Amino acid sequence: MTEDDLRAAFARHEPLTPPAGPVRAAIDRLAARRRRRRQRLRIGAAAFALVGVLGVVPQFLPGTPTRETPTVMGDRGAGTPTGALNVLLVGLDSAAGSRAPMADSLLIVHVPADRSRPYLISLPRDLAVPIPGHGTDKLNTAFARGAGPGLAAGYDLTRRTVTDLTGVRVDAGAVLTYPVLRELTDAMDGVRVCLPEQVRSSHTRRVFPAGCQWLDGAASVDLLRQRRDLPEDGRERDRDAQRYAAGLVRRAGEQGVLTNPVRLSRLLDLVGPNLTVSWTDGRGLPDLLRVVPDLRTTEPVGLGLPVGAADGQGRVLMDTRAAPGFLAAWRADRLAEWVAAEPGRVTRLR
Amino acid sequence: MTYEEFADARLAALLRYAVMLTGDPHQAQDLVQDTMVRVQLNWRRVARADSPERYVRRMLTNQFVDWRRGSWVRRVLLRGEPDETLPSRSDHAQHTVDRDQVWSWLARLPRRQRATLVLRYYEDLPDAEIAEILGCAVGTVRSCISRALTTLRTEYAEARP
Repeated sequence: MTEDDLRAAFARHEPLTPPAGPVRAAIDRLAARRRRRRQRLRIGAAAFALVGVLGVVPQFLPGTPTRETPTVMGDRGAGTPTGALNVLLVGLDSAAGSRAPMADSLLIVHVPADRSRPYLISLPRDLAVPIPGHGTDKLNTAFARGAGPGLAAGYDLTRRTVTDLTGVRVDAGAVLTYPVLRELTDAMDGVRVCLPEQVRSSHTRRVFPAGCQWLDGAASVDLLRQRRDLPEDGRERDRDAQRYAAGLVRRAGEQGVLTNPVRLSRLLDLVGPNLTVSWTDGRGLPDLLRVVPDLRTTEPVGLGLPVGAADGQGRVLMDTRAAPGFLAAWRADRLAEWVAAEPGRVTRLR
Repeated sequence: MTYEEFADARLAALLRYAVMLTGDPHQAQDLVQDTMVRVQLNWRRVARADSPERYVRRMLTNQFVDWRRGSWVRRVLLRGEPDETLPSRSDHAQHTVDRDQVWSWLARLPRRQRATLVLRYYEDLPDAEIAEILGCAVGTVRSCISRALTTLRTEYAEARP
């Protein structure tokens, strides 16, 4: 029994090989079937992303007083929410459960009462603000100061800080960690993000060229973590977060889920369990989803709270000239007018 | 390279390789089919590999070795006995029967050992490349081969009158 016997045995059995043609056809058939199934799942994930960005909440936070959320969760069954909606999205750098997590970026999705289009409004994390019960400090510390067990307390103090600062009612909110964003992005097969300038990752040495590009989950998270080497530090990152969110919304729009609320909520049911969404009350969801097809366009407008330069401690202060007008327009649900008057303050998202 | 080009160039060779691994045309077809469906769906990732061919061979080999995790073995087993359609079966000469015993001994080897034998004596790959495909150390490949050969030689010695 030699090695040559082995070689000969293999060679002798080569005629057993099935012809490639039928196998190839079977592969194509199976792949097409699986692609269709995957597409259905992906549309579901897109619906989920849209809901996360536009107004419903991946992780509904208990402890939010119901008095504060009349538009969203109150009056169940009363139909589509009317009036402006503000959803606070807190991007968290560390995973749930780790010590003293800092809010990395704060983004409010504002949907005006006329449902014309969504606005993505960034609040600088280094903004010096009065934190209820904790004096004045950077906005991002509110999360850590409030955080007890779980993320709910951190979110709640952040929400109260934001409400005091802006005078805008926060209707709902979500805490998004990087792993959640990564999964979401991958489930949608990537997101197209358009950058005005090249970004070099200080974490992975990845270079994001200027211009539009497809990013998978890992790359998106990498981009969202970049801050130090960017102009204006955290604020350019906030704008990158807007660009990413805009890409996510656009991707969801491409899937056609925006126009079909029935399919949207059915798909949400399909995908919901896989993404471990914890709803304190899911019954308001269909009502909320009805907001989505009412939007005239899903192309968001990126805005930021006007602020001045950073002081010696890296804190930034509100721009006392421009900020009051912006906040007044926001509170009065007249942001479209403000944007028309201040086109230079809009973030280019594509 | 597109998926189509890859399939044009490599599908037949992969099928032959799968036949050597499984020893059965139906199992080989299922193994290749399952692997290639994943290849087609994830073509962008496969194409990014230094050598898509090696990447796919690795996918296929892993699927064969990790049979507990895959579903294809269970599906194949439901079909019952593998077909006995060897062309050389019709040859009743004693030496041919002997030689085809090699094939049945091969079937009794652990999958990993069989895979190393196929990669070494059918695909004629160097140890380093076999190690890369199986995701193990070069030393492991060598010990795998020598253990498999020892088993085969023992069988051979016992079968001889």
